[in-house]
Amino acid sequence: MDGMNAHDLPGRGERITLWYGCNVLRHGDIVHACLDVLRALGYDASPAGGPDFCCGSTKDANLVAADGMAQRTVDKLNRRGAAQVVSWCPSCHAQSLELHAKGYELQYGNRYFVELLHENRDALKKLFVHPVPMRVFLHRHMGFNDKVAVNAMVPEILSLIPGIEVIDDDLRAPGYMCAHLATVPSAMAHMVRETEARMQRHDADALVTLFHQCQRELCGLETEGGKPVYNYMQLVARAMGLAYEDEYKDWKRAGAGATALIGPQRLEKVGAALFERAIVPELVKKTTR
Amino acid sequence: MQPPAETRPRHALAHGVRDYLERERARMLSACTACGKCFEACPMPGYIANRGDETPAQVTANVLGLLRDGQASGIALDWIKACVRTGECVRACPENVNPKLMMRMAKMIATGGMGGEKLLPVKDDRDFFARIRAFAALQLTDEEFKAWME
Repeated sequence: MDGMNAHDLPGRGERITLWYGCNVLRHGDIVHACLDVLRALGYDASPAGGPDFCCGSTKDANLVAADGMAQRTVDKLNRRGAAQVVSWCPSCHAQSLELHAKGYELQYGNRYFVELLHENRDALKKLFVHPVPMRVFLHRHMGFNDKVAVNAMVPEILSLIPGIEVIDDDLRAPGYMCAHLATVPSAMAHMVRETEARMQRHDADALVTLFHQCQRELCGLETEGGKPVYNYMQLVARAMGLAYEDEYKDWKRAGAGATALIGPQRLEKVGAALFERAIVPELVKKTTR
Repeated sequence: MQPPAETRPRHALAHGVRDYLERERARMLSACTACGKCFEACPMPGYIANRGDETPAQVTANVLGLLRDGQASGIALDWIKACVRTGECVRACPENVNPKLMMRMAKMIATGGMGGEKLLPVKDDRDFFARIRAFAALQLTDEEFKAWME
């Protein structure tokens, strides 16, 4: 769609806030790809996220803090002035619908990112110019699908990419995302074993996640010797010719040696002590089986 | 005389999440019949060790006890701990209770989030947000970090 004015595209230059969340910041490639696709569809998308925009769902064990965070975030999103807030994170989206909207006056409409892509799928198809030949097994959860039918929408979106075949399978993991499920190790292990068995049965080329937390928890299956694991947005980006690297997966593969990939300049921004204490344990953690 | 603007309640932020949850707690205690359909529909009890022989109705009644008095008995606490918000319970509920929110509130209460005794441990991860900022510093440019995170 080179040379087209944003107002000629489906987004028509509409101002939106891309509320990407917190934990997805491990996957800068996903955040950047989301922003690029929204802009390619003609939206005037402004990103917002991180701890200062936390929805508060991480603080259920301290409702005073959770409510304070919710109030602060609603206030900040209100002040941004965009009529639509498009969430990437299903937890943020659910928190906004289930709690924020009940406790506060939201001066914006809530949309989920997949809804927007699905609604714009005709325009999206034109952006998918690079084939991605792959038979993919989708990792789907039972939760959240009642809010947005992601389990049906994402395969429809992926099927627009030349070369992709989405395997039809009825496996649905409990919960919203794998970070929740991982708090019940026996359930997580059961889901992983079942996923691997079904991928083998279907002769899948790759596992594809819908949510960033699942990508974080499951990309280790690849780095520990299994088949490739992608988030669906990484395949969308590839089909659009966006050359983002999945650095998180590379770091996970390198484990404690990730410092060599990150380099001293970036490490200095984080600080060696925090990196060793808070990040290395996550990178060396093995997938629950 | 008007109070200074910074201390004046903002009309857009008038009620709060905590008030809503307290209203929901009262509504659920009134609406739920402890029929146990939510427990039957949930995929997680299969992952609870030592399930015992409590009926679904008894387990649900014990969850209501926690909502009412802040105390739980039997395997209710194990079920609350194992809840990952799948939501199959919402469809199964014949009384429009919203058992998913009921279980979430039960976990809030059991972890001390709504005051009272802490019955379930809470993971104390004091680096949670520092870790997110660190990943952001690694993955975003300095300009993006400033413009997108503040």
